[in-house]
Amino acid sequence: MAATEDAEEGRRPRAPLAALTQAALALPIVLASARAGAAQVGEVGFAALGYKERGLIKVTEPVLWGRLQVDDVWEFEASGALDIVTGASPELVTNLPGTPVQSVTGASINDRRRTAQLRAKRRFGDFSLSVSRAVSNEEDYHSHAFAIQGEADLDQHRTTLAIGLGKSNDRVGSSIDPALDERRDTREYLAGVTQVLSPLAVVQSTLTVTRGKGWFNDPYKSTLTFYPDEILPVLFADRRPDHRNAVAWLTRYRRHFPGASGTLQADYRLFRDDWGIRAHTLELAWQQDLGERWSIRPALRYYTQGAADFYSPVVPRPRPEVLSSDQRLGAFGGLSPSLRLVLRLENGLTVEGTAGYVHDAASLRLGGGGSEAFTTLRAVYGILSLSRAF
Amino acid sequence: MAALNEVQVHAPDVSAARSLAALAIAEVRRIEAKYSRYRADSVVSRINAAAGGAPVTVDEETAKLLDYVDACFRQSRGRFDPTSGVLRRAWRFEPGASIPGLRELRPLLAAIGWHRVERTPDTVRLPLAGMELDFGGFGKEYAVDRAATVLREAGAASAIVNLAGDLAVLGPHPDGSPWRIGVQHPRKRQVALAALPVSCGALATSGDYERYLEADGVRHCHVLDPRTGRPARGFQSVTVHAPSCLVAGSASTIAMLLGRDAGLSWLESLELPYFAVLEDGIIVDRFRSGP
Repeated sequence: MAATEDAEEGRRPRAPLAALTQAALALPIVLASARAGAAQVGEVGFAALGYKERGLIKVTEPVLWGRLQVDDVWEFEASGALDIVTGASPELVTNLPGTPVQSVTGASINDRRRTAQLRAKRRFGDFSLSVSRAVSNEEDYHSHAFAIQGEADLDQHRTTLAIGLGKSNDRVGSSIDPALDERRDTREYLAGVTQVLSPLAVVQSTLTVTRGKGWFNDPYKSTLTFYPDEILPVLFADRRPDHRNAVAWLTRYRRHFPGASGTLQADYRLFRDDWGIRAHTLELAWQQDLGERWSIRPALRYYTQGAADFYSPVVPRPRPEVLSSDQRLGAFGGLSPSLRLVLRLENGLTVEGTAGYVHDAASLRLGGGGSEAFTTLRAVYGILSLSRAF
Repeated sequence: MAALNEVQVHAPDVSAARSLAALAIAEVRRIEAKYSRYRADSVVSRINAAAGGAPVTVDEETAKLLDYVDACFRQSRGRFDPTSGVLRRAWRFEPGASIPGLRELRPLLAAIGWHRVERTPDTVRLPLAGMELDFGGFGKEYAVDRAATVLREAGAASAIVNLAGDLAVLGPHPDGSPWRIGVQHPRKRQVALAALPVSCGALATSGDYERYLEADGVRHCHVLDPRTGRPARGFQSVTVHAPSCLVAGSASTIAMLLGRDAGLSWLESLELPYFAVLEDGIIVDRFRSGP
């Protein structure tokens, strides 16, 4: 840029603000903090989400949230959501037509899920500590989670380190098997770093390790397999290992281009677990500011995963200990474009609308080799949110 | 000064608010008297009168203020120059005035150059007769900071000091809500372009709209480049939020002087919230959405 012109006047020292502030500090004046964010003392918002998976499931999810900052030291956040799920759910994978297909039973699922989350954060100078509690209840699944996280700002807020610990105690039930009442307990360990690379670019990398044990079987899923040499088919209920240990590594990059009034947002997530699943997610988005009030954000997400070791659409012989024909454990890939429009009004009101499309298919798996029994999924979703800063 | 100057203080009762405000106003008057170039007995007038002659003794406050200006000069690679006020002799920002040519500017440019000013810890000497020091680019901002400091020391927890749009905020309103500071539309008088929420710190704006001269459809503003004698181009206005008004004011003025691209990267390098209107009307709002 033109900042490098006329070098004969000498190189500009590295930290101009530090130089000016140091000179100003010699004067008999008191300097104050100038964080613009500190001025906002709170925010409330409402969002509604609609999801339609061609004939299968529709979810509407009204969410309400609030955030309150007190004295620049305390921060409280609360949110609540209600999911309403209607429509049918796939239950059975059978090879009756010759090749394995997913068959949808006539049973219709109507469920309501209520979730609530509370978070309190206390800042101690360059260090902050937050605790959060989350509860989620539906007819056949109850979850109680607790998390604690510490963050330290280093090098004049250019580097932020975070470590966290969380646990979730869940109970699994079933609307078709009233006797089912099993536990699933998960512990989560998190370590992350956020680094400001330049005034225009920031990168954040977070490693999350989860260790779960308990009941992972899906009571609504089973596999029905016919063998050519046997008269009776075999019906195998979904049975998975009683533990799941996973590592997820998420890296996010943001780069602002003042000349173009836009920001590049790139996210990459690597996931692997001891079920044998390897997954990669790449999302690229461009947020373009259109004047002071409007901004638009087109995004494209690509997802690819390999199958779990015990995934199979047919029951093999001899029968294994663990087996699932749940296609979410199969090998497939997905493309998901979305578009978000943001309108910021002068009275602190922000209106956001997002529309997206989800396309998951065996053929979209990176390098091929997708599970043949994977039924192509096409879904559309929309999110509308209103928030107001006060 | 013709522009709006105001002090607003939240206090338990009216008389407490009045006495706090009076302290702040007295401090502003003290600084204006000390550094005004319209008063023969001011520090500035004494230094300018002795140009080309003997060194003038200055007090500690003035010396520290000149140290600050020196830091601005260095950081801006010579764009921010307190000796550039002599250019006013060629530029008249009034309707019908003409655009000065090189013939008029050249002798004035020869009298500009902060690096040539001779300073010791307690003296200042302008080496050439005709050279001038002008505190116009930072004296008002310093007065804002001093008035805010006086209020803070007197115990005010919520107040605003506003000298013609350059201001300091001493904490939010008693109910915790921020002060809403309107940014003047650079092309429409009496129209606010944005309302920036500020709870603490200072806000200063440099713009091409206060004093300017229009000729052949080109706007020539009063922010003049000391190297060419010509007006800065690239921004309609730059508003910066900083820990002090002095820093906010010099940051925004230096951005104006650097021009659009170098100015934006200067602002980004400061990592301070800012709100800029580019020459073509495009708004860069880095106030609410940080880097």
